[in-house]
Amino acid sequence: MNPRLNPVLPPASAPPVGRSAGLRATGPSPESLHPSLWRANQLGRSAENALPSGFGLLDAQLPGGGWPRRALTELMLPHLGIGEIRLLAASLAATQSAGRLVMMFDPPAAVSAPALAELGLDVEQLLVIHTHLQLRPGADRLWALEQALKSGHVGAVVGWLPPHLRSERVRRLQLAAHAHDGPAFMLREMAAQSHASAAPLRLALHSAGADQLALRVLKRRGPPLLAPLHLALPPVLSATAWRRAQVRDGADAHALQPLRAATFVNLA
Amino acid sequence: MLWVALHLPLLSLESFAATLPPEQAGQPLALMDAHRIVSANAGARALGVEAGMKRATALSLAPQLLLGQADARRDADALTSVAHAALAFTPMVNLSPPAGVLLEVQASLRYFGGLAPLLARLQVTLAPLNHRLRCVIAPTAQGAALLSRVQDRLHCADRPALQQALDAAPTWLLGAGQVHWDTLQGMGLRTLGELRRLPRAGLARRFGEALLEELDCALGDRPDPREPVILPSVFCSQIELFARADTTEQVLHGAQILLARLVAWLSAQHAFVCRFSLLMKHEARWGHSHAVTVLDIALAEPSRDPAHMLVLLRERLAALQLPAPTLELALESDDISHRPPPNAELFPTPQSEHAGLTRLIERLQARLGREQVQRLVPVADHRPEWATLAQPAEPLWLRQREAKVAGGERPRTLPGQSLAITRPLWLLPQPQPLQERQSRPLLDGQVLQVLAGPERIEAGWWDGGLAERDYFIAQTAEGALVWLYRARLPLPVAGGSKGWYLQGRFA
Repeated sequence: MNPRLNPVLPPASAPPVGRSAGLRATGPSPESLHPSLWRANQLGRSAENALPSGFGLLDAQLPGGGWPRRALTELMLPHLGIGEIRLLAASLAATQSAGRLVMMFDPPAAVSAPALAELGLDVEQLLVIHTHLQLRPGADRLWALEQALKSGHVGAVVGWLPPHLRSERVRRLQLAAHAHDGPAFMLREMAAQSHASAAPLRLALHSAGADQLALRVLKRRGPPLLAPLHLALPPVLSATAWRRAQVRDGADAHALQPLRAATFVNLA
Repeated sequence: MLWVALHLPLLSLESFAATLPPEQAGQPLALMDAHRIVSANAGARALGVEAGMKRATALSLAPQLLLGQADARRDADALTSVAHAALAFTPMVNLSPPAGVLLEVQASLRYFGGLAPLLARLQVTLAPLNHRLRCVIAPTAQGAALLSRVQDRLHCADRPALQQALDAAPTWLLGAGQVHWDTLQGMGLRTLGELRRLPRAGLARRFGEALLEELDCALGDRPDPREPVILPSVFCSQIELFARADTTEQVLHGAQILLARLVAWLSAQHAFVCRFSLLMKHEARWGHSHAVTVLDIALAEPSRDPAHMLVLLRERLAALQLPAPTLELALESDDISHRPPPNAELFPTPQSEHAGLTRLIERLQARLGREQVQRLVPVADHRPEWATLAQPAEPLWLRQREAKVAGGERPRTLPGQSLAITRPLWLLPQPQPLQERQSRPLLDGQVLQVLAGPERIEAGWWDGGLAERDYFIAQTAEGALVWLYRARLPLPVAGGSKGWYLQGRFA
């Protein structure tokens, strides 16, 4: 069932015929007149082409069929390292293959270049900017992010925002993102989901097992999505290791032999 | 020959106003020389201040009057920069002191598409220097210079028209006429036309040959060779601030005038600046002599854009701690290059995007520091902490990248094929030792389930950073994947942990 707006066919979630048959005029329904008109129970469509995320299940639920351009996308994580970059890798690689630069602002840990190559990203098309290492009085950590968004020459921006960020700062970044032709991913702490934000797309990510990501769509231009999505990330584990991971502690601990770690005894 | 004469009637007042801080620029101003007022701006004249008054009289009429000294050198600097800006239009530019610039434009008319477009572009080029201009066009240099002092926007197409205009001009325009002005007035000779009708021998005997020579040059009867202005090979200009500058904004306001002069000098040679330095002379404090702070700005790409250079100056000044208030500013530059200007097309091209990216990275580096904008370089080393080198983004790398993109070389992509992911993206700066419970590693109090391994990495025996480790992939209780290792030989480890270390997390 494709909830996207189609100007030719009537939308899939039209009201039932019996109730309002007598009231409905013989003309076309208003939402099929123009792409900018839509009903609240339909998924919005962005004016520009959205960037496909590489996950069909996710694209079906995102307005426009992918990551929005010229707007912030907020991703909320419990902690770093749950597969967030594997989620974004396909769209970042597509941006780089178009010859545009990807910028990362304040990554939470050191970035490993061989891992980037394995994810499909090119280190020649990537810049890492640290804003918090040199703090002057009155320094603005978000100034660099705003400059990159406003310049409009950067292909994609991935930024780690400081915790407890005020909503007017996020609104300011969203305004700056209007000039940025590409996706702008803002990764924040999980506690930010209770604060209002001007970003049009907000997702909360959780790890749902090895190489699995549970994604809840908190805010989007369209009807709310109640059920979380389960995405299969590009795998790190081999098949055997994955089967081993399915075994939880306690229950079937004896079914699969636990991995022996090689230990050396110091005989000296 | 077609000469354009530019006269700057308020040159002294404007060059004085350039040294004032921005908030005082609109106040009534007057210039003094030897205890008498020499000139006053419109605001001061409205309050009744006139040239020739004494200082006390002027101050009693207008208490808030700002008085400054007339400085011929400051005026000459301002006039020189106007001449440099005019050099972009014709090589024959002549200074006619005290406040005139002459341009010979007959040879440039065809290139600029006519006299009116040339004059319009001249106005636009001279606008940043902020001077009131009077413009007269005539076939002779002297004639145009004389007429520009009394008239504005006059175009004498040929010699008869020039003669007609000069006939109506007053006699005190001529240098000799000014000297003998009283005598000439007493004789009733008020205009140059009346002078011309008198017998030449008598005029020469009465007032000297100089009067007749000047008149002949003006009318075109006498050759009048002029020396063109020579452009200095090195740019050096200074401005003495009227009030000491305590804040960055005041220093930047003064630096803006200097940057406009630098741009005029560059346009004259059709060149771009690669590096310039701003020297700030501070007032003497506590027995120290005048300290000079030098601020060197090197541009990643040669540029002629005053707004961009001002932005860079602002960022660098904001990070600088000045020891004392600034009294004098000087701008120097000797590093220029002749490169084609960037194209200004409607739709973004790879060249314009590259130029925009270079400026963005320049701005970021100016504010955050050069080391904070990094690119990653993979190093052929098995040890994970040595496998990535973070280097500052250099303009050379940007240019190479731009050349590759423009040449159609697309970066390596993996559309359908997926490489096996064996390395974690996030590496901890220092490996974190982990506790152990029942021979299983603990992270944040929860037992990690080891899933894959061991992967043995032994490297670094050649440079003293020996690493002999067995790496494992483990899963936390929530399902996140982490990368651990155990040191292969139980060497005595500081901290006395059992040997499990957390090195990275899979993102």
